Amino acid sequence: MPIVQQRVLLFFGVFLAFYVFSFAQPGNKFSISGTIQASSGETIPGASVVIESLKKSTITDEKGRFTLTEIPTGEHQVQVRSVGFKEQVKTVRVRQNTRFSLALEQDDIQLTEVSVIGRSDAKEVARQAFNVTAVDASKLHNSTLDLSHALDRVSGVRVRESGGVGSNFNFSLNGFTGRQVKFFIDGVPMDNFGSSFQLNNIPINLAERVDVYKGVVPIWLGSDALGGAVNIVTGNKQRNYLDASYSYGSFNTHRSAVNAGITTKSGFTVQLNAFQNYSDNNYWVTVDVADINTGEYFRNQRVRRFHDTYRNETLVANVGVVGKKYADKLLFGITLGQNRAEIQTGARMVSVFGQWYRRGNIVMPSFRYQKENLFVKGLNVRLTGNFNLGQEQNVDTVYRRYNWFQQFKEYPGKGSERERSLYKFRNNNGLITANASYQISGKQSISVNNVFNTFNRQGFDELNPANQNYEQPRVNTKNILGVGYKYDYDDRWNTSLFVKHFSQHNKYGITYNPSGNFGDVAYMTQKNSFSQLGYGIATSYFLQKNLQLKASYEKSYRLPETDELYGDLLNLEGNINLKPETSFNYNVGFSYLTNLTKQHRFTFAANALYRDARGFIRPRLNNNQTKQVMDNLADVTNLGFDGEIRYSFKRMLTTGVNLTYQNLRNNTRFEDGITAQSPLYRDRIPNMPFLFGNADASVFLRNVGGAGNTLTFGYNLLYVHAYYLYWPSLGQSKLDIPQQLAHDANVVYALANGKYNIGLECKNLLDARLYDNFSLQKPSRGFYLKLRYFVGK
Amino acid sequence: MFNKNTYILTALAVGLSVVACTKEETLTPGTDGQTGDGSKERFVIAALPIGSTGVADYLLTADTLSKGTVSTKGSGIEQDGTYRYYITHKNRFFSLLYGQGNPGAVTTYTLNAAGKLEKVSDFQAETVQVFTTVQDDILTVKVPRSGNESASFYRINADQSKVVGEAQVNIVKLAGNGERAHFTWATQVGDKVFAPYMSIKGVSPDVFGTSYPDSAWVAVLSYPGLQVEKVIKDNRTSFIGRYFIDGLAVDEQKDIYAFSSAVATNSGKATSTKPSAITRIKAGTTEFDKSYYFDVEKASGGYNLTTQLYVGNGNVILTMTSASEKGAYAVGKRLAIVNVYNQTFKWVDGWPAATEINTVAARSNYTPLDGKNGYLGVTLTDGTSYIYQVDATTAKATRGLKIDGGSIQGINRLTYKATQ
Repeated sequence: MPIVQQRVLLFFGVFLAFYVFSFAQPGNKFSISGTIQASSGETIPGASVVIESLKKSTITDEKGRFTLTEIPTGEHQVQVRSVGFKEQVKTVRVRQNTRFSLALEQDDIQLTEVSVIGRSDAKEVARQAFNVTAVDASKLHNSTLDLSHALDRVSGVRVRESGGVGSNFNFSLNGFTGRQVKFFIDGVPMDNFGSSFQLNNIPINLAERVDVYKGVVPIWLGSDALGGAVNIVTGNKQRNYLDASYSYGSFNTHRSAVNAGITTKSGFTVQLNAFQNYSDNNYWVTVDVADINTGEYFRNQRVRRFHDTYRNETLVANVGVVGKKYADKLLFGITLGQNRAEIQTGARMVSVFGQWYRRGNIVMPSFRYQKENLFVKGLNVRLTGNFNLGQEQNVDTVYRRYNWFQQFKEYPGKGSERERSLYKFRNNNGLITANASYQISGKQSISVNNVFNTFNRQGFDELNPANQNYEQPRVNTKNILGVGYKYDYDDRWNTSLFVKHFSQHNKYGITYNPSGNFGDVAYMTQKNSFSQLGYGIATSYFLQKNLQLKASYEKSYRLPETDELYGDLLNLEGNINLKPETSFNYNVGFSYLTNLTKQHRFTFAANALYRDARGFIRPRLNNNQTKQVMDNLADVTNLGFDGEIRYSFKRMLTTGVNLTYQNLRNNTRFEDGITAQSPLYRDRIPNMPFLFGNADASVFLRNVGGAGNTLTFGYNLLYVHAYYLYWPSLGQSKLDIPQQLAHDANVVYALANGKYNIGLECKNLLDARLYDNFSLQKPSRGFYLKLRYFVGK
Repeated sequence: MFNKNTYILTALAVGLSVVACTKEETLTPGTDGQTGDGSKERFVIAALPIGSTGVADYLLTADTLSKGTVSTKGSGIEQDGTYRYYITHKNRFFSLLYGQGNPGAVTTYTLNAAGKLEKVSDFQAETVQVFTTVQDDILTVKVPRSGNESASFYRINADQSKVVGEAQVNIVKLAGNGERAHFTWATQVGDKVFAPYMSIKGVSPDVFGTSYPDSAWVAVLSYPGLQVEKVIKDNRTSFIGRYFIDGLAVDEQKDIYAFSSAVATNSGKATSTKPSAITRIKAGTTEFDKSYYFDVEKASGGYNLTTQLYVGNGNVILTMTSASEKGAYAVGKRLAIVNVYNQTFKWVDGWPAATEINTVAARSNYTPLDGKNGYLGVTLTDGTSYIYQVDATTAKATRGLKIDGGSIQGINRLTYKATQ
């Protein structure tokens, strides 16, 4: 069972060290190899094979194979364990290189792995004391989802998109949105990646697993996340692999992805991830079309979107070594990417554009160093760094007005569709993360994590070179230091305690006119800084082997972003007096697994959470209503519940349903400058989904058209309850975002044990008119075909 | 006294501006919903709840402005967001948008036989920084503060609820000083449109700064052609009106009075050296009247005017700021009455103390143009909002209609014929 496995893994690390140090030992040594399978015949990947007396261990590969080397002559007790199976011990007599195979019996009493595909990492993560949901992305590798859509199926998460492929999206986790939720890739914050490498364009195949931490974030994900974090775990566990896929579908959508890795025997490794998305996004919408001259509406016209093409191409390459004495992993990499997105509409679909677009790129060198048992046993370190040289640009220079019939009026002179701009900027973000953990004893460990960020925005608008005079340094550094302590009392109970120190230093210039004469500009440099201390605790207790209880608490902060502090030179005015947002996050939850009979398995999980968030940074209009300015304006509480029930029948059917309810309430009792209680106090936060869920079902037909071929039929339902656009308690006739019911269906045919895969998907099966945002229609029905080739060893 | 012809709905609706007459109509305001011709009147108040996020305006109706309570709690017609602006013309109520540069839908309402607001139309229009009534039209102007070099003027026919004409004015050329001419407002004067403007740099981050803080300009445009025929300039005051604030009033003799707050800035610092003052353009002329100059700053003992509401007979209700409160966008919390004919200045009694006031409505206040009364919206620091009836002849303010759960964004009057 997993807890045992966890400890085995721990020992495994220790033994690995022994292994390294004992490498040069002389004598007659042989190897033991073989295959571990279930009594039903399928091979078992990820099973641990241990010879305790020799402190040797390994885990089986995806085909259930293992090899133990450097085994001295004699009789040895080989223990084999895997999640959901009964442990077996086999005595093996070694006089030469030995092979044996073993069949494990399924263990229905112990906690078992429900997932049909035998990877257990995702479930392993779920057993942490933190409130975390792990998405096993590898199960979705044959789908055309990008990461944001995969995350949309997690309870507590709502991804609201404004359009089709590559469109803007708003990620909300238990009511926290925008920058309050932080994203990581392999533990490295993604804050500075720009638009070319984002959740809405990263294909699911890049990820092995995605962990969603709700509210309380472990310190090794060091960041000023207010309401949670999402960590994308990439990295194929296999040494050599190739995963290539291409999909084509409605609205001229092409996506392809190649993930490949080679590791030589000497430990030299090259890893490559490349992906591309392209879509015209010219899906059908029903709108009132304005006459280009008079503004009169032609009602309910079904038209195609016509200026919404999105494309991006991104390459992530890493070169380095693995499994060396000085480094378990030392990689140097570069991320190169670009994207271009046409902008079809404003915040309402009646605002339609035909030329405006934005583009961006990413040029990001990076490194990663990882070593377990550095200098002393139990000391593990990780060091990463990157610097983004990419830039973003907004291009709006065509003086036209369009309507949905694609008619336009063109005006003479210098103008634009919205705000004339060729403004180009580079944030010069640098990031260094350092992490060290030390196992003090079998039960206690400590860890330290530090994340250091730099930012130095430089922008230029060739249309307005005079702005250069006013563009003053906007430099900041941010550092987050965390210290954590973990106590594993026994298999049943463990607790983590942590403290985080947040600090930020800002330096910026402001202009003034010292004499009042024309063109006289002088600069002043101003500085400010914050420092705050956050802390938390997370604990987990197994009441029974199949019943886990969890509780966690954190006081967290989000530091103001540079845009919020300094403005963006366009529509946002700076406010240097901003304070960090803060939230007190509480979670309690349980998960329970049971079997009706051997074939029918159920899991139940439920969580309750409470958030008490203060000083939300929200925009308000400045005095002349010409620009927005950010301010610490709103206090919000959320009492939320989410639950999930899953059922599986043998290895043929898996189905589940999850539901999230969040009671987000305005806790701002007094508005700025007003002494009496706000009439909106305790009203439900508007324009935020409060009841939503997913249901899914998959049927697996094995050995269809040949041994090792699997045919899967899948279905997914998304439900979002209607919600008001503005405050619920006010007004009579109200605007709302109607209920959403989206049906997606897919068929996947995997041949030769997943080497060749053909997937066919239909999104928005019933062609429903769906909205995530008021008046902004999501894509109409679309069909997608995906071909994928995968080999690995 | 009254010239019947000046009783025009257009002016009633705009509230802040008085424009030439277009229609003959008699009415006796403030008589609990009764008018002289048997039709009934009703006021539409746009209210905005005070909150930092997700707020929208709500349209509430009341028979009188002088008493009672209306509330946004569970009542009112929700508008799509705030930063909307309201104007009445031809007995139709228009909900315009300030769409942050985006085009969007404008909704038109009338009162039905039951006296309830009823949507009659919506149509597409552009973001506005200026809205006024001219002849049969609502004239809106989209004034780019940077980037685009042309201001767009749109003529919206009030009866047809659609755009019937548009024109572009190159504001960089119009300014002619390297800056931009940023129209503060527009007012119908005879068959012309007078549009005062401020000179602004239009360059980030000091978009609204200027190197020309001590001049007033008024562009004279033809109508409906909307061609600039002339620019009138005067160096005795700073610019007329303010960003998004009307600075012209036309009296019953068609003389035009121009109000300057003297709030030009440069890099955020106030740079006007001229006092806040009122000047005049005599009827039928297109020049400032050099013989007329009313130094309001002097008359008030160091205060400057921020907004003006002309109520007739030369009486104007001014909101005022002290020297320390003075700012390019500050709306004064102190109330005064001036008479532009005899240049008298009086502080208003019965108006809440500045310390008790959160905000005063800057535009779309209401006057029946009876030479006497103006109705101004105010939100107090305890969060309650009231419409105050201000008697310009006695300089007395009286608390009237209470608005629960919202600050006042506009007060408009509509009439309707009841069924029975």
